[in-house]
Amino acid sequence: MATLVGGIGTSHAPTIGVAWDKGQQKEPLWAPLFEGYVPARQWMTDVKPDLLLIVYNDHVNQFFFDAYPTFALGVGAVHAQADEGWGKRPLPDLPGDPDFAWHLARSLIEDEFDPTICQEMSVDHGILSFLPLLTDTNWTIPVVPLAVNVIQHPIPTARRLFRLGTALRRAIESYPKDKRIVVFGTGGLTHQLHGAGFGRHNEAWDNEFMDRLETDPAGLSELSIQEYMERGGTEGVEMIMWLAMRGALGGTVKRVHRNYTAPLTTGYGLLVLET
Amino acid sequence: MDDVIAGSYVFTGERSAKSYHINKMAKTLGSAVTRAQFQADEAGYMRAIGCSDEEIELVRQRDWKALMEYGASIYLLLRIGAAVGHTLPQIGLHTSGKGH
Repeated sequence: MATLVGGIGTSHAPTIGVAWDKGQQKEPLWAPLFEGYVPARQWMTDVKPDLLLIVYNDHVNQFFFDAYPTFALGVGAVHAQADEGWGKRPLPDLPGDPDFAWHLARSLIEDEFDPTICQEMSVDHGILSFLPLLTDTNWTIPVVPLAVNVIQHPIPTARRLFRLGTALRRAIESYPKDKRIVVFGTGGLTHQLHGAGFGRHNEAWDNEFMDRLETDPAGLSELSIQEYMERGGTEGVEMIMWLAMRGALGGTVKRVHRNYTAPLTTGYGLLVLET
Repeated sequence: MDDVIAGSYVFTGERSAKSYHINKMAKTLGSAVTRAQFQADEAGYMRAIGCSDEEIELVRQRDWKALMEYGASIYLLLRIGAAVGHTLPQIGLHTSGKGH
């Protein structure tokens, strides 16, 4: 029987990958972010997951608007790294877990979630920016990526993501093999990458969101996409994906670790939860 | 939605349809080979993908603000920026009307 051992909410950003690759972990600008990941990495070492189920978004690297899936599931044995325009980073391709991923596809569709099933799905900074901060980069832990459209409107509601989480939980609990699984929700927190509000982020809302993710996720799931964009920016709407992680964990959660820093234009949050 | 999210452009279906070819062109810049082709002949590269003269001119001028107003995706403007040496802070600031 597979077990859900916990959940991680984390921001993602190309700049995190650049800073990591340049070895800027101890520089004053970046230290509060990178040091914040140390306890989370220790938790990962302690709970020994053997599968990571990551709800994230592609940034028009794998998918294009000729056919843009609302949900897309990577079922391949390998997930290649996308070239986001600057060339690929010095990281190996990610290992997948086709057996679990196909089980997840069957379970989700049974549960009335209908992802596009992708046997080849390259992944971008939506996963690869934070993952080196949490695991060894020889990627010993397979990853099953579940991409969500949060870019081309209409995008799914916060409530839909929260409910997706409960469907992920059912899929994990119905998987017959012994696997220790961590579910990730990644994106956000608040940021605005264009227009008159460029660079605006909202630390009060970011922290309220992380508070309520623990204690009132159902309330967060009732907020509209409009409200998320007003509070956190049009790009910050990515934060709704954290609700999938929280939905998977169910009722009451125990906080293991939390960090928040906003060195540049984005509020970077990190939250580690156990059931 | 544009009217209620002050100062930003929500990437709606209408915007996606209008800016389809410029976004499609930017999407192709995900390899060193295509970036080199684009850099060698920006206008020719864009025309071959179906971009209009207006779209070619907006890219030639590096007018990121006008490109956002036109309907392009910020993520794909960043892809063009990567090919022409413009960074996120430069592009973002330009779209705000404060940059150059």
